[in-house]
Amino acid sequence: MIFSRKRHWFILILSASLILNGCGYKDIDKRFFVLAIGIDPAKHSTKRYLVSLKMAITRASREKPTDTIIVSAEADSMGEAVRTIKTKVERELDFSHAKVIILVDKVAKSGGNSGIIYWFTRRRDIQEVAWVAIGKPSAVRILHIMPKSERLPTNSLLLALGEDGSETPYIIPVYLFELKKRLIERGLDPLLPIIEVEGKNLFQINSAGVGNKSKIKLILSQEETKMVNYMLNMESKSAQWVERGKVKYIIDTQKVKTDYKIITPKGKKPYILMKVSLKGRLEETSRRITNGELSKYEETAEKQLSNEMKAVLIKLQKANLDPLGFGLRYRARHLNKDDWEKWKKIYPTLDFKVKAKVQISDTGLIE
Amino acid sequence: MNRYFLYLVLINMFINAIIFVPSILIKYSFDGAVASVLLSIPYGVLMTFLYSKAITKYPEKGLPEILANTTKWMKILHIWFIQLAFFTAGLITLLGFLDIISRFVNPEEPRLILLVMYLAAIFLVIGMPTQRVMYFAEIVLFFSIPFLGFIIFKAFSSKDLSWDSIWEVTTHVFDWPSLKAFAASSYVFSGYINLIIFNRVIKGKLKIWNYVFVFIVGILNLFTTFLIPIGYHGADGAKEYLFPWISTADSLRLVYSPVERVIFLFIMLYMGVTLISVSVHWHVALELVKSTFNEKAKEKKKWLVLMAIAICSAIMVQQINTLQLNQLTEYWMILRLAVEPIYVLSFYFWAGRKIS
Repeated sequence: MIFSRKRHWFILILSASLILNGCGYKDIDKRFFVLAIGIDPAKHSTKRYLVSLKMAITRASREKPTDTIIVSAEADSMGEAVRTIKTKVERELDFSHAKVIILVDKVAKSGGNSGIIYWFTRRRDIQEVAWVAIGKPSAVRILHIMPKSERLPTNSLLLALGEDGSETPYIIPVYLFELKKRLIERGLDPLLPIIEVEGKNLFQINSAGVGNKSKIKLILSQEETKMVNYMLNMESKSAQWVERGKVKYIIDTQKVKTDYKIITPKGKKPYILMKVSLKGRLEETSRRITNGELSKYEETAEKQLSNEMKAVLIKLQKANLDPLGFGLRYRARHLNKDDWEKWKKIYPTLDFKVKAKVQISDTGLIE
Repeated sequence: MNRYFLYLVLINMFINAIIFVPSILIKYSFDGAVASVLLSIPYGVLMTFLYSKAITKYPEKGLPEILANTTKWMKILHIWFIQLAFFTAGLITLLGFLDIISRFVNPEEPRLILLVMYLAAIFLVIGMPTQRVMYFAEIVLFFSIPFLGFIIFKAFSSKDLSWDSIWEVTTHVFDWPSLKAFAASSYVFSGYINLIIFNRVIKGKLKIWNYVFVFIVGILNLFTTFLIPIGYHGADGAKEYLFPWISTADSLRLVYSPVERVIFLFIMLYMGVTLISVSVHWHVALELVKSTFNEKAKEKKKWLVLMAIAICSAIMVQQINTLQLNQLTEYWMILRLAVEPIYVLSFYFWAGRKIS
């Protein structure tokens, strides 16, 4: 009796799985896997955006694994563009592998683009760990780049942005969820890496754009990007270039750590105390430096590093941008309800004090 | 430590870490959620302590056996009223999770079919004797806890977690606690109430370490439930998500694992946890109903009850959408908060008087 009842259930479950197979599933060869999404301003019509999707072509053989197809459509919104693109291709679009979203800088600089970003996070099938970047001169050009070393489509971009491949302080990778957080969090402003076309079939990522809640307002240069990277404590492997009198030397950094405090003394001007510690060894000099005189060179490096960092901080402050999250830190350390209103008044008048500590361990293998 | 008791507590904590509690707490994060969470910890542990102390005075007996010799109308009143609570507790968990599956795993599948599959598995479990339901729970937890622990560890240790956002929310600690947030955060602790039937498998008294464990794990669990999504999506931004923890799991990246996206691993593990959570609730409900039937008609009436459960779930899954479900759950939790202490305290004093 008991046994037969169990078998009864067993059959019921099995038959339920028969219903499952039918509907929700489409074969791989009936899908296009979208790998990268590019958004440009529209050129040929009055619509706002030109949306391009880079899709991998799935095929049975392993020849040409990097084969891709790029399809574009002009539309006023993402949803409309994707529906238009669907009418241009024969297979179903699958966004679950979309890993890179590229906004062109004109789009990023014209206000009110947060709506587009919300399209990505609102859809359930686009992953939150997709990277967002600004493309120069156009997003489609970036999508078309296929370096020879690439074994899978768009893999070179993924390796560069994901820091699985090259590690450099000039790339500040930003995930989609991170960008969305920065778009709404009071006291933390958006920050995006900039991908530029380099030569015929290469790209270069060495600058970053900083924006307020609706558009990109400031483009950071290569060295400024590095400073921001230091202050975000993201990547330690880098090179710091120093000039002392006529001697130029480069420190290969092994460890860079920054930490800051917002100090608001009563009756005095509030300031931010930024502490940087940099450890590394000399990599290249224009004149011979002995291990004995390293401390002098450390001092110069400290001065220069703190000046550079201060310059970046002041530049950001003048533009009233806060990609490092000082405002959020202030809100997090103050119990009063109006701390955000207070911070908005404090930030433009703030002073910066940078304390750098540079340790050069040796001059490398050669003295 | 008694591991069966801890399983009951853990199941409830795990399941509430993703479905309703985080979104309710985060919604009130600037309106008293922090204070509510802090208050709910002593409250939850106290309730756990009182109820388990009272019921373990009857070793290896569930409520039906304890009430076997009392008058019939009291039995019916007592029992008919509680099992409805257990049934609805299981139902909202099931509906909430079906909603997640149909959104993130297979949006084209009708929910009714997902429900049928779940119900088939659940019915298989809840008909079993209590001891075997417990074994089943143990197996599922054994497989899922290490992975879930790993995911939570990853979430904690990632550099994408913004501690400033977390601190910003905790600075609102002096806001007056909100009732809804308190109802939600204290629900996390109420796994102990399943002892009403599962006391059958608990031998002897519970030692003090059990409660220490509940206390510590409760703090950790509430912290993960409430503050980790805020660390990932921001103090202001986390409110915008419908399922904060699912989106947080999607924001994690396991670079060197076979599947880079954590969300699939996460949902897969939670399929099992949901199954046992609903099974435990409904097993309790079914056993309580069964105890009100007389011996002869038991088997037939059990099928009637299962039919009723199936029909009720099918109607709910068709009629109720996510937003209505969230609303309903908030009210359900407040109702539960009102009823729970009355029930626990009255049982505590009743059991105390009875024994002495």
